Amino acid sequence: MKTGTTVNRHATRQSTTWLLPVVWLLLTICGTAVAEEQGGGAVPNPGIELWRAVREGPPPGVSRSQVEGIGMTTLIAEGGERWRQLRSNYVAPWGGWALVGMLGVLTLFHLVRKSPERFDGSSGKVIVRFPDYDRILHWFMAGTFLFLAISGLILLLGRYVILPLVGPQAFGAIASASKEGHNLFGPVFIVSLTLFVLRFAQRNFFARGDLAWLAKGGGMLSGKHVSAGFFNAGEKILFWSITFGGLAISISGLILVFPLFGQSRELMQLMLLVHGIAALVLIAFTFGHMYLGSIGLPGSFNAMNTGKVDADWAHAHHDRWHREAEEKGLIEKAPS
Amino acid sequence: METIAAFLEGPFWYFSAAVFVVGVVGRLALALSLGSSKSLSVPRGSASAGAVRAVFSRFVPRRDFYRRIRLEVIAGYAFHVGLFVLLFFAAPHVEFYKEYILGFGWPTMPRWAFIVVSEIAFAGLIVLWLRRLLHPVSRKLSDAGDHIGSILIFFVMLTGCLALGEDHESLRLIHLFLAQLLLIYFPFSSLMHTFTFVFSRGYIGAGFAHHGVKA
Repeated sequence: MKTGTTVNRHATRQSTTWLLPVVWLLLTICGTAVAEEQGGGAVPNPGIELWRAVREGPPPGVSRSQVEGIGMTTLIAEGGERWRQLRSNYVAPWGGWALVGMLGVLTLFHLVRKSPERFDGSSGKVIVRFPDYDRILHWFMAGTFLFLAISGLILLLGRYVILPLVGPQAFGAIASASKEGHNLFGPVFIVSLTLFVLRFAQRNFFARGDLAWLAKGGGMLSGKHVSAGFFNAGEKILFWSITFGGLAISISGLILVFPLFGQSRELMQLMLLVHGIAALVLIAFTFGHMYLGSIGLPGSFNAMNTGKVDADWAHAHHDRWHREAEEKGLIEKAPS
Repeated sequence: METIAAFLEGPFWYFSAAVFVVGVVGRLALALSLGSSKSLSVPRGSASAGAVRAVFSRFVPRRDFYRRIRLEVIAGYAFHVGLFVLLFFAAPHVEFYKEYILGFGWPTMPRWAFIVVSEIAFAGLIVLWLRRLLHPVSRKLSDAGDHIGSILIFFVMLTGCLALGEDHESLRLIHLFLAQLLLIYFPFSSLMHTFTFVFSRGYIGAGFAHHGVKA
């Protein structure tokens, strides 16, 4: 049997129950209004001002650190994240695909072009195109460049290409080896590039006839030979690309390997991009050079292998140089 | 990895070191035992003095030839001196000698010097090998053994430098394994010139001095 007090309590509970949703509704409306007034629907982070200040960094001369050096008073280098995204989302994938694209273009070109003329040495005559020193220099630079290209590509693209194949432990060792090897051979490449440029620059200045060669695309598509001297315009463009691209790679590489001269973080990040992009462009050019120096133009490889080329090859691809050699009596009998 | 390390630092190290020592001493003993035919001509100079002079004077190329072999001389010195310095003054090597062979060490070069010397040695080795491949006479004179020696040394040096980070045991073990292969290959190859150059120069120098040839 319900007592009078119990009945009253029940009646009171019933009469106040409808108040709960009303209070909840009022609170929600008020909360939303306050939140909107403070700038949006989200509940504000009480530390937002602090973190904003941290990200912006302190005004110059205000903060100090026990560790002296550039950037030592910076807690969060916000530009680093933007740089990382630029490198990871654009430079690495686009660069990788650009190289694949270059290989694709060369393959396609090889398949659709008119079959190149072959020189089987029936002329019985040869001309010395590159003496020993020139070939040693060429292969010295080519070897170091190839090593740097492979190790550099591992550092740039290995995370996406090699890591899934070999796993983190093996990739850690490969990446560490690539980094040490890349840093070690960088200065060796600079020496080889300097010697190479000093040796070959004189013969690579643009001259009369180069524009005509370029206008006809070197006869690559038509299959007709275009008049050229010792180096044609395409080879000269490659030479100056290697010279200036190599210079950009060398300077940026030295700035990165020797962070001893007060280089800022921003400069290092910029140099990494310059280094990577210049290297990717040169690697793509090198694909083309390797193709034309081997199966693309049969007979060309002899120039950098034995140093001697068939006289007919010289006449077909470098007629003006062939004429000069003929006038100077430099055409030799081919060794039997 | 631990099993491989134990094998390379244990039995295989003793085996390769034994092959190297026995092989080198054996080949030198064999060469010296051949002796030389006694010259019956009247000596025109001291053979011993001629031998010593030839050993040292051949370190400097003759002026008449220098212009033509400048590249080989510079690359040759860069590689050989560089390799010598790396072999005996690189900190990890000295540590290895101390722990496994001698029981004592000596002052080593700093890391930056190690890197500079490595670069010089590499440049020298690559140029020398390219000359061997590209010069028509050198190419014909070289046999497979010469190329194997060059390639093996190149990879021993390369793997040593790739392991410079000292953060992956596998890289150090690859370097150690290749160095041990080199030790085994050494006595049976033209790499023996490391020791025999003294005897060959001395032999020629003694003969020249005996006959009064100033060369």
